[in-house]
Parts: sequence; structure tokens; C-alpha cells
Amino acid sequence: MNILNLNRGASFKVKRVTLPRETGKRLADMGFTSGTEGVIVRSALLGDPIQIKILGYNISIRKSEAAGIIVEIPPEEKNPPRGEDI
Amino acid sequence: MSTKRTISIGLAGNPNTGKTTLFNAITGLHQKTGNYPGVTVEKKEGRRIYSGVEFIVYDLPGTYSLTAYSMDEIVTRDFILEDKPDVIIDTLDSTNPERNLYLCLQFQELGIPVIGALNITDQAEKMGIYIDENRLSGLLGIPMIKTVGANGSGIEKLLDAVIQIVDSRKTPRRSIFYGNEMETEVSKLISVIESDQIFSKKYPPRWLAIKLLEKDINANQKISAHKENCAIIKQTRESIDFIESHFGADSEVVVSEQRYAYIHGAAAESVRKNTGGNINLSERADIILLNRIIGLPIFLFILWSIFNLTFKLGEYPMGWLESFFTTLASFLSGYLQDGLLKSFVIDGIIGGVGGVFSFVPLIIILFLCISILEDTGYMARAAFIMDKFLHIFGLHGQSFLPMMVGFGCSVPAIMAARTLKNPIDRIITIIVIPFMSCGAKLPVYILLAGAFFPQNSANMVMLIYLIGVTMALLSAILLRKTILKGDPAPFVMELPPYRMPTLRGILWHVTDKTGCYIKKAGTILLAASILIWAMVSFPKPPEDIVNEISKTEIRIVDNVAQAEKELSYSIAGKLGRLIEPAVKPLGFNWKTGIAAITGLAAKEAVVSTLGVLYKVGNEENEESASLREALKNDGGFSPLVAFVLMLFTLIVPPCLAALSTIKAELGWKWLGFTTIYLLTLGWIVCFAVYQIGKLSWPGI
Ligand SMILES: Nc1nc2c(ncn2[C@@H]2O[C@H](COP(=O)(O)OP(=O)(O)OP(=O)(O)O)[C@@H](O)[C@H]2O)c(=O)[nH]1
Ligand SMILES: [Mg+2]
Repeated sequence: MNILNLNRGASFKVKRVTLPRETGKRLADMGFTSGTEGVIVRSALLGDPIQIKILGYNISIRKSEAAGIIVEIPPEEKNPPRGEDI
Repeated sequence: MSTKRTISIGLAGNPNTGKTTLFNAITGLHQKTGNYPGVTVEKKEGRRIYSGVEFIVYDLPGTYSLTAYSMDEIVTRDFILEDKPDVIIDTLDSTNPERNLYLCLQFQELGIPVIGALNITDQAEKMGIYIDENRLSGLLGIPMIKTVGANGSGIEKLLDAVIQIVDSRKTPRRSIFYGNEMETEVSKLISVIESDQIFSKKYPPRWLAIKLLEKDINANQKISAHKENCAIIKQTRESIDFIESHFGADSEVVVSEQRYAYIHGAAAESVRKNTGGNINLSERADIILLNRIIGLPIFLFILWSIFNLTFKLGEYPMGWLESFFTTLASFLSGYLQDGLLKSFVIDGIIGGVGGVFSFVPLIIILFLCISILEDTGYMARAAFIMDKFLHIFGLHGQSFLPMMVGFGCSVPAIMAARTLKNPIDRIITIIVIPFMSCGAKLPVYILLAGAFFPQNSANMVMLIYLIGVTMALLSAILLRKTILKGDPAPFVMELPPYRMPTLRGILWHVTDKTGCYIKKAGTILLAASILIWAMVSFPKPPEDIVNEISKTEIRIVDNVAQAEKELSYSIAGKLGRLIEPAVKPLGFNWKTGIAAITGLAAKEAVVSTLGVLYKVGNEENEESASLREALKNDGGFSPLVAFVLMLFTLIVPPCLAALSTIKAELGWKWLGFTTIYLLTLGWIVCFAVYQIGKLSWPGI
């Protein structure tokens, strides 16, 4: 499951990032490492880019990169809050 | 006094953590700050004497990691690796300790003494984030000092800590523990590196070992540049293979993960978060400002408001200044005798520079609005909203920030493009920045729109701005599809929390920019006006011709025509005739042609040159209102010509200052390309508009 499968407002836990070296490492540097939790805040008009909150700060990434962030739903939130599709 | 000690300090840290704010507080300088990542793009130096020590402080561009990606980050990395400051002050944003510590630990690994400045403490505590700095400092082995850059609190403690760490000559001993498996590989690599005399002296072995496991390009280049590198390369490959098979992930990612794991551990013991899960003010504002549906209309409305505020509000003080200069001119002309001196003062100086000075109020309002956008944090939001749209044209959100800065002035905008990682993205952005009408073009638009489109002047100016933006987008996609192929780099950008702009920050920014404008008017434009005046005034036609003109023609033709005739003898007149073939197809007579061309030096020069050219010798208009009137009454001008002149000012190469910045950033080749591209495009567009306009509406 990647970030694009989640709804707006959903929490996630990063499993791994499968992106080309440079972007993958950059995201890892910015906190997208396995086990880190985040929330999908919103998306811009036309669904792209996406705003994510992770480690207490907000970051904007494009759908194409978001698709490479493999996540799972954290155990305490098996019922993700219902929101619109992002 | 004893001989003075000096200590060099590198101010580094993540983007937008207040490095420049701290730098200004320490040194008393006024470098530019702003609430979005990537404001500082080059190293700046400042000094401060404190406790008998001279501190040389370097403000550096922000970076998330020491693995540099973009030009501005390379500046920081090279400075720290090559110039080795005595101490690094790592500025940390206390609202977000984890991500900020990630870089801090890399500095520690480098073996240079590090001090952490826990900055933006005020905001963190408001948000309910409390850091126990003694605890954190004990855990990491890095001194941590709480600071608030905005009011300078904590600065002296910070400098005391710097002196202390230098005196104790302690290089950091501790560093991250990467977990048993990785540490074994790191030790193996270290022992191979240490057996190489040259390398172990040049770079800290542990740091180099970890960089190799991170597959850092720069570290790898260092290794391959070295001859006896077999053992190191072999061990690196073995270690990477082991790590990747053991962890099932790329080794560079494993390194990041272990670092974050270590940080999460330290933060759990020293950071107390009491955010209570409720949404803070900044996030509430974003619910509206970044709303999918109304976010874009809000952004457009903000731009439209800035524009109208500048134009409508600025009109009043501009009018006062204009009438002040007219009064001054008529007052002086009463005292001065007819002749050269009078013409020099009234036509050359007041006519030229006075016109440009009248626009100061507009410039103040424009820069006020831009700096409010920059300081609140809205700029980054606008980039978020516009990213998808820009992507269609081969640009991206990160190009947007420099382009917005370009509405103020192209020079900082071109430099701001350094934050773009991908060189192609950067070149395209720089080439299209001149299409964003800068503050110096505004006076030209307003003068011409005011004179020839009095009913719709604001709309007319807005139209020119929009044409500029459209041309920027079309040029971007044209370049992307032809000579600068390749996909734009991914767009990954931090959205900083909104901040209340400080009055001091805004005022400083506005006075700085306005000061530049006034200074330019008082120096370059004054000189240019005087030069143009001299070119217009000399040489005078020979005596017998003057007599002949006045004898035969004075009764038949008005004295405007007489002045024209006299002008044609001057240097400007001759030069004008020389360039006439090139500008005539655009509808310009030789005077307008000269004005348009002086705009290449500085855009405001179009106004000052028109001021000199259309006033000199024009006895009748001398006491009449403004340049606006003079232009309106001139046969060589029409609404169509005025529109074409605005287009010409918009498109043809920017001022000399911007061109030399392009040269500095991209080199001669791209400077040449940009100049030729803009000149050709400008000429063709103006030609087409004039010719089509003339055929379609012969009346105007
Ligand atoms: N509340 C608060 N705001 C601060 C503090 N220090 C800086 N700021 C604000 O944070 C923003 C960023 O400050 P800068 O000094 O430009 O940050 P920088 O680290 O130099 O940023 P880059 O050059 O982009 O890397 C500005 O809007 C500052 O006014 C602080 O201690 N408290
Ligand atoms: Mg800065």
C-alpha cells in the first residue's frame, strides 16, 4: 500500500521508500524512514501535489513520488477517519 | 590590549530555521530573511567582537543533510568540509527537533566542534513543545543553547559556549551508534581507511566510512581520485552488500534510518510535546488558504489586490510628487535665464530624474506587499497551489518562488534559482524570470498607460503583467521541448508554519529596496539623463541655418517643428536616424527608439529619457503639466505605439544588472542565448502587434 491509497486525514506508518536513489535518499533525510508516522493533510487542486505532516512539520510532494512511499496503517488506527479521497 | 583572538563560526542548519536572523542578531548586519526555505543562497560573512574575541561569522544556505543536492546546499557543504570553521553553530528549529537533529549529528560526525542553537523557542513553547536542553545536550554530547533570533535572546550564551568549546579544545568524541551490525561494517571500513596515511589525515575516517556506506557521490569521487584505492573500494562494496542483504534495504536508507532511530530515542527522553492533538492556528489558516476549491481563487485575488493597492493607492502620492516637480520646474525657470543652464536643470535633471522619483511611492507599496507575502509564509503555499499548473509548462513549484521574487527585482530572483536542484530546471527558470515585470518596469507601464489609456490604465498595466507571465510559461515549455529537454526534478518542499511578520523586518526590507531604487535614480539614471540631454543639446545647428529656419518658417510652422529641426542636428538626432530603420517597423520614431534602447541599461531609463527628449526645446510645454501631457500631445505617439513600447520594455533583455547576474550564474553562453532570444522575440512581437494593429484599427 502506498500513500496514494489513503484518504485525506488518514494516518500512516512508513514501511519503506521505493524511489530512484536521489529522491529516495532525500525523503529519507527528511524523515521518511521505516516506522515514522505521518498524516495526509490535503492535496492541491487536481489532487497534486499532496501535503503530508510528518515529524511535526508539513511537506509537499508530488503524486509521482508519493506513489513510491510504501506505508501501512498504524495499529491504533485500524479504522482510519473517513475523509474525501485525496 | 592583548593580541586579538579570532574564532570562525559557520552558521548552518536546516532551511528556514532562523540562521540569517541569528546572523543579523550576532553581527548587526541586515541580510535578507524570509519565511520560506531557501532564502539564503550564498555564503555571507560578518563580524562581532565579544569578550575580547573577534568572531568571524558565516551565514550559510540551509540544508537537510550533508549529502548535497542543489547548488545552494553545495555551498554549505563545501564550506564546512573544505574551509573548516573553528566551530559550527547548528541552528535548530525547536518546533521540529527530530528532523533538525538529523543534520546536527552529521556535523558531530565530521569532528568539527558543534553547538546547537535551539532557535524559535518562543513558537515551540506556544505550540506546547518543551525541550530539556541540558538533558538533550548530555545525551548527544553537544552543547545546546535556547535562542530566539527575533529578539536576540540567548546570543551571548551562545557566544560564551563557542569560546568555551574552543578553549577546551574538545572535538566531539561521541557520535551516533548505528546498531551492532552496521557498526561492525563501519569499523572494518575505518581500519582500511586508517591504514591509508593520506586519507586518514585529510578526512575524519569515521565520517568518510559512513559517507561511503551512504554512497555519497562526493566521497566516492574523493576515493576514485586517489590512486591506491583498491582496498577501500573493495571493503566498501563488501560492507554495502552485507548491509543491504541484512536489512533488505538500500544501505544509504539504512544509514538514515539508524540516525533517525537514534534521534527518536534521544528525543523521547528530552522533548515533551503537549500539543494535545488540537490543530494550531497555522493549520487552521491553511484549511481556508490551501482549500482545494477556493485556494486558487484566493491566491489570484491576493495578486490582484497587491496590484490594485500599488496602483490605486500609489496614485495619490505619485500625483503629489509629480506636481511638486512641475512646480519646482516652473519656479526655477522663473529664476534662470533662458539658455543652456536653464535647459540643463529643467529638461536634463528635473525632466529626466524627476519623472523616475515620482514613482517611489509605488515602489514602496509594491515591496511592502511582496515582503509581507515572503515573511508570513504564504509564498510556499502559493508554490504548492501553483505546482500542478506550472508542471504543465515544464516548470515546477520551486521555480515559482524565484519567479515571484522577480516581480520585485530580477537580480535576487535569478540568484534565488539556486535552490533548484536540477541544472536544466534552473536554466529555464533563470531565462524566463525577466518576463516577470520587475519594479523598474512598472513606472514605464504606468506612465504610458496613464497617458494613453486614462480610462483603463490599471487594466492595461495588468494586461502587460499577464502577457509577461504567459510569455514566461510559453517560453519555458518551448525551451523544455527543444534545447533543454529532460523531466523536471521532483518537487519536495517544506511548508513552514505561518509567522507574524515583524515590523522591523518588513521596514528594513522595504527601505533597503526603495533605497536601491532611489540610489539608482540619483546615480545611473541621473548620469544617463545628463548624457541624453547633452546628446540632444549638442551640437547646435550653425548660425545661418538657425536664422534661416526662423526667417522662413516661423510664421508658417509652430515652434515645435522648429525644435524638431534643431534637434536633428544634435548627436541624438543623428544617432536616432541611424537606429530609425530598426525601430520604425515597430512604430517608434527616433526619439521613442532611443528611449526604448536606453531601457536596456535600466528600465526606468525609458521614463527619464522620454522625459528629456520630449521636453528639450519644447518651449510650449515647458510650463505645462507633466511628461504624460507632453507625450499625449506629441504626434509621434498613439495608444498603439504606447502599447508597443510597453511590450518592448517587457520583453527585450533586462537591465545590465540582471544580465550580469545571468552571466555570473550561468556563464557567457546562456547570457548570449538569453540576450539574443529576448531581443529577437521582443522585436518580432512588437513588429507583429504594431503592424496588425495599424491595419486593423487605422485610427489609433
Ligand atoms: N518566532 C520566531 N521566528 C523566528 C525566529 N528566528 C527566525 N524566525 C523567523 O523564521 C523565518 C526564517 O528565518 P531566516 O533567518 O530567514 O531563516 P534561514 O535559516 O536563514 O533560512 P534559509 O536562508 O532559507 O535557509 C523568518 O520569517 C524569521 O522571521 C525565532 O526565534 N522565533
Ligand atoms: Mg538565511
